[in-house]
Amino acid sequence: MKLRRNKLLAEPPAGASSDIAFILIVFFLVCASVQPEQGRPQEIPKTEEEPDKKEKNKNPEVKLTRTVVILNGDAMKDKMFESRLNPLLAGKQNPGDRVVMLKSDKDVSYERWILFTGLIEKAGGIVTLQLEEEQVQVVN
Amino acid sequence: MKIPKRRFEASVPSMAMGDIAFLLLIFFVILAKAQDDSHIIWEPAADEKLEQAKNYKASVVIDVKNKTYLNGRPIAQAQLEGALGELLGDAEPSKRTVLLKVHKDATVLQFEPVIEAVSKSGGEIHHVLEQERK
Repeated sequence: MKLRRNKLLAEPPAGASSDIAFILIVFFLVCASVQPEQGRPQEIPKTEEEPDKKEKNKNPEVKLTRTVVILNGDAMKDKMFESRLNPLLAGKQNPGDRVVMLKSDKDVSYERWILFTGLIEKAGGIVTLQLEEEQVQVVN
Repeated sequence: MKIPKRRFEASVPSMAMGDIAFLLLIFFVILAKAQDDSHIIWEPAADEKLEQAKNYKASVVIDVKNKTYLNGRPIAQAQLEGALGELLGDAEPSKRTVLLKVHKDATVLQFEPVIEAVSKSGGEIHHVLEQERK
């Protein structure tokens, strides 16, 4: 004789699922917002192979080294830079006139570079990077 | 005489909540994987005025060991321009933002080629920085 078993249905409690869903959403949203995204946009003009010589002479040139900043050939302390650059860019409306050529030594840190590009932009300048081209010298 | 009103019970069906939670979990995991660079160690430089980045398409990181990453994956600087060009595609100018996360002690030798690559690929640079403490 075959005995019939009592089938017991075991259902997981679904009442707490909505709470779990809500907590999961909050958790992932918090995780997603932890990564920093605040900063500073920077517009860098396209590179030109042969910049116009007249324009090159007219625009301010900044050379940045690890310890000193040089503006149009004059070395100065970091604190003096802002006050010396501002008059050079004051009243210039044309974007071409506001271009500031920036040349940096290879050992300049990003922190220092950001500080000075920030000062240039604050004065109304448009930073243009002057990159050193690799030169191959053949020695006989 | 008072006529008793018939009461209709209206309850929110909670059976589907488990499925919704599961789908949300998958959605967020995929979203997190696509551009995750949280495992990379770098310290941001500081600035006074910061802006929130909008509609960024890619993120480039230079970490404490001067390694370059594109969207969380290591990449050689020579390949960066091409890879960024593919990612940015034909996106309109306002949607070509590239987040630049550079370790504060990285030197020009490391970050200038990256800026050049972003510029050449037509990307708009957004330096990720922290608020300057006074």
